[in-house]
Amino acid sequence: MVEKNSSVWAKSIPIKEQLRVIVTLIKMAKPFRKMFFTALAIGGIFALLQAAAPRIITYYMNTYLHGNDHVTWTIMISFAVIVAIIRLGQAVADAFNAYYFTVAAEYALEDIRVKVFRKLHTLGMRFFDQVPAGSLVTRVNNDTASLADFWRFFMQLTFAVMSMIGAYIGMLTVSVSATLLMLVVVPFIIASVIIYQRFSSSLFRHMRERLSSLNAKIAESITGIDVIQEFYQEERFKKEFDRVNGEYFNARFKMVKADALLLEPMIDLLLGGATVLVLWYFGVLSMSTAVAAGAIYAFTTYLSNIFGPLESIMSLFSPFQEGLVSGYRVLDILDNDTYAPAQNPDADQVISNGKVEFKHVNFSYDDEHPILKDLSFVANPGETVALVGHTGSGKSSTINTLMRFYDFQSGEILIDDHDIRDIKLDNLRKQMGLVLQEPFMFFGDVTSNIAMYDDTITDEQVKHAAEFVGASHFINRLDDQYHAEIQEGGSGFSAGEKQLISFARTIIQDPKILILDEATANIDTETEATIQQSLKKMRQNRTTLIIAHRLSTIQDANLILVLDNGEVVERGTHEELLAQRGQYYDLYRLQGVDNNTSDN
Amino acid sequence: MSIFTQLMWFFRANKRLYIYGLSFLFLTEISQMVSPALLGSFTDRVIAREVTPEILLLYAGGILFFAILMYGFRYAWITNIFQGSALLEKTLRQQLFDHYMQMDTTFYQRHRTGDLMAHASNDLSAIQRVASGGILMLVDSLVIIVFTVISMIFVVDWRLTLIGVLPLPLLVIGVRYLSPKIREAFTASQEAFSELSNKSQESIAGIKAIKTLGQESQDVQAFEKEVTKTIKINKRVALIDSLFGPMATVIMTISYVIMMTYGGSLVVSNEITIGQLVSFATYLGLLVWPMFGLGQLFNVLERGNASYMRVQDILMEKSAIVEDIAGIDTLAQGNIKIDIESFVYPDDSDTKNALKNVHIDIKSGETLGIVGRVGSGKTTLLKLLLRQFDHYEGSIKIGNIDIKSYRFESYLRTIGYVAQENFLFSDTVANNIRFADVNKTQENVELAAKKAAFHEDVLKFPERYETEVGEHGVSLSGGQKQRLAIARALIINPEILILDDALSAVDARTEKQILSALKAERQEKTTIIAAHRMSSVMNADKIIVFEQGEIIESGTHAELMLKQGWYAQMYKQQQLVTTLVSKLDGQGG
Repeated sequence: MVEKNSSVWAKSIPIKEQLRVIVTLIKMAKPFRKMFFTALAIGGIFALLQAAAPRIITYYMNTYLHGNDHVTWTIMISFAVIVAIIRLGQAVADAFNAYYFTVAAEYALEDIRVKVFRKLHTLGMRFFDQVPAGSLVTRVNNDTASLADFWRFFMQLTFAVMSMIGAYIGMLTVSVSATLLMLVVVPFIIASVIIYQRFSSSLFRHMRERLSSLNAKIAESITGIDVIQEFYQEERFKKEFDRVNGEYFNARFKMVKADALLLEPMIDLLLGGATVLVLWYFGVLSMSTAVAAGAIYAFTTYLSNIFGPLESIMSLFSPFQEGLVSGYRVLDILDNDTYAPAQNPDADQVISNGKVEFKHVNFSYDDEHPILKDLSFVANPGETVALVGHTGSGKSSTINTLMRFYDFQSGEILIDDHDIRDIKLDNLRKQMGLVLQEPFMFFGDVTSNIAMYDDTITDEQVKHAAEFVGASHFINRLDDQYHAEIQEGGSGFSAGEKQLISFARTIIQDPKILILDEATANIDTETEATIQQSLKKMRQNRTTLIIAHRLSTIQDANLILVLDNGEVVERGTHEELLAQRGQYYDLYRLQGVDNNTSDN
Repeated sequence: MSIFTQLMWFFRANKRLYIYGLSFLFLTEISQMVSPALLGSFTDRVIAREVTPEILLLYAGGILFFAILMYGFRYAWITNIFQGSALLEKTLRQQLFDHYMQMDTTFYQRHRTGDLMAHASNDLSAIQRVASGGILMLVDSLVIIVFTVISMIFVVDWRLTLIGVLPLPLLVIGVRYLSPKIREAFTASQEAFSELSNKSQESIAGIKAIKTLGQESQDVQAFEKEVTKTIKINKRVALIDSLFGPMATVIMTISYVIMMTYGGSLVVSNEITIGQLVSFATYLGLLVWPMFGLGQLFNVLERGNASYMRVQDILMEKSAIVEDIAGIDTLAQGNIKIDIESFVYPDDSDTKNALKNVHIDIKSGETLGIVGRVGSGKTTLLKLLLRQFDHYEGSIKIGNIDIKSYRFESYLRTIGYVAQENFLFSDTVANNIRFADVNKTQENVELAAKKAAFHEDVLKFPERYETEVGEHGVSLSGGQKQRLAIARALIINPEILILDDALSAVDARTEKQILSALKAERQEKTTIIAAHRMSSVMNADKIIVFEQGEIIESGTHAELMLKQGWYAQMYKQQQLVTTLVSKLDGQGG
């Protein structure tokens, strides 16, 4: 699951997959089919008008200009008006076609964007722990945006096909045999499209891959500039960048050469060849019979109606490929089944007392390495249970299973003696308040960060919660107090202040069960004192599970579990554990200041 | 147009590309004029029934010949001009990157990573467009317009040309009119996009908080609101965008109407032939794109100019840290003598001293401990020592030589710095450890890891020392990151090792292990440890306590305990625990 190389451009997607992506994306656009079809219909009208104009001019030339004598001003002006109307119609159709199509594509891609976002919220923590946040943001935003290219290609494609059909119909009305001759061009067109597609797709992929490693290099060098400069590695990085930069240049130059060889110049060459065919046909014809004056004009105009759109679809191959790859990555998320652990279908229990019980719980992240082994403990309503142990001992995993972030493999977790899976999820979320080690601040203000999206919470309640946890102190000192802006990530607030705000956020929900992942970040001494006080208050009348990093904070816990490699190795109260002289005792002593006191 | 002058250095340096490119572009444009003329005159011969096999061969051969010739010309100009623009982008990108590597801390405080990335991508592609599309449009417009009009006058009729071409400048005006509107709409669309990005970024980063609070559906609703806003803005972009094509059609129609009426009357009055009228129609078609291009040219140039200015502004910024090129190039060694009268951070609105009257002597081989609350000046002092800021009053000397008198290489090579949060590169564990010296062997790497108490952890990684770290590799815990960073600093065996709260995420047992390894290994070398935990510094030869940028206490652990000041108080607070243990323990105390 962990992507070793983030660039999907490193490998090509098999044709079958590509087709699947195309079909799925088209199916997903179904709700907007009316708009797409309207756009197509208007595009058809455009193609018809486009074919009609040269036909009328040809007729005008043949009928009225040929003989030189029977043209009148009235005829001239009426033809001019007809042509003008047709062309204006074309202009209107063109505008509507482009507008409808772009808007339809916009709706379709935004719809997918919301679907992806919604989908993300159904996935479990396992997914978020494995996939880097940056790449998810790219998928929700940039990849869905690239789908516009996908749709533009289809628009151009249908448009080109209609133009071509229109052009051939127009030609047919001028001369059937010459039109048949023009069919000779078709295999050449197809061949040039196939050859270009084959070359460009691999070159483009290669170029994109180089570009993403180039950008990754810049981003990494900027973020790591301190380290680079401290260790005096600037020259090495410049040299490496020169290489990466050069590789991208080479890849791009190859693409330029392929375009120069096979794209615009090639299409123009084919157009030139086709023009020669027209000349040849009508030249030979004129040797035996009279040829209408407008015929050559009509055919050369129709030829450019065929080759013009062809060029534009071919130049959209690369963006289309980009759109396809994006579509592939988007579908990858939509098809992901790392769902959040589900509750039992008829879960209807609610938490009323807050008793938590683990019964022989076994848990593993990968079904291979057991993380929690036969974990059992009871926290009675109002009691505090502390989890202690080294990194990787299973403290966080215990909370991950209790919070239903991950499903456990066997055993039972009971809340108020009900299976945790029988409790309504929204009730579970409301009654279990988790305070994260690193509090997360949302963009908004202090109030919105405490009340979150809950409209039923009044400003009074927010204030009350802040006072309760001791946050009101610093909030009152802020310029806008409860409406002080909070930036992304809460910059401008100290770690301790953020922690207090998140306390208020938790306490305002009035949960029966409190789960604390104690912060290790450096919090200044004064705030630290407030936090400790506040924690004490919060714990009153609540069942509390606490992951303790500093043992000094849990001396009054009803039960302390010492975890080691997922197993409970010691359990008891603070005094009992110290008397045991086991791991807890060691840990405890190490956290104090060592050396000069006692050494065995 | 000034952007072309500004880029002249590049065009001059790559003369060959541009001479070839522009010549072939010119030849392409000229050849383009031939085909319509041939077609027109052929049409006349067909109508007059003068076509003989020889004439047919001549015309067909002529058109074919020019088609093939133009294929070659086109290939040549495209490869030359676009190679030039790619080269320009590459050159500027390297300049930017080299510049980024050179810049100081203040620079990185002023510019966010995203902006610096944008300069190296979006701005460069806007400039690059000047050297590709810009040049093409310029040459196209000038050459095609001039030659087409001349051809029209000579091949067809000057009166028809004059009147027929009259409406075309409207196109330039129209494009100029619509362009600011589309740009405005487009900017709004980009803003909407970045708001959407920020929203999803926040939701994904805060997924745990959202799940905890059970607010998934509310979050989706908030996102949908943003999406609705985005759709509205993008519809406006689509609306304006869809007007460009039709506008060209409308204006061209005016020309066609003139062609049909006035041109038709000229045919009727036998002043021009039908073939000439056909040629005229083809020429008219040739003018559409250059007129369109002319309108867009201004935008491309404007954008390129703005981007070039931005890039130049960045390149013009100078680092406040200047290397003394003629400085000492032997490794810095000896006692450290810090005498700082005052230091104020640049761009700081309140001119509060970040450091004041800081005088410290560290003998070579000693260990200095620095403590004090958050923001008291610990890290600031270390930053000065690392030459991140040079504008303090006073001096820092190593071996009695001012640190500003050293070459960067000889000075920085003597220091190994570990921060509280350390950046790791997306590379293997081993390469991250040998970061400062790529020539270090696997043994060196493992030895450094062992000293940093990191080796055991590495052995548990899937591919041990070859395991990738960073965004796409294994995720390390805070403590593991710190220990890797310590190994990274230790591998060069620096004269001066600086641990800036670098043990904060390491548990007590490991901390003790690392500190005693340092003590054993680095007896001859200087070590500076800044920390929050008193246990990290209590064995130092000297401990200083910072408060609001000043040293309020200094001395050994024993001396400071006697003083009964901040240190003693903090120590006791953290000590309380130990005493408790000792009591229960019944030993010592």
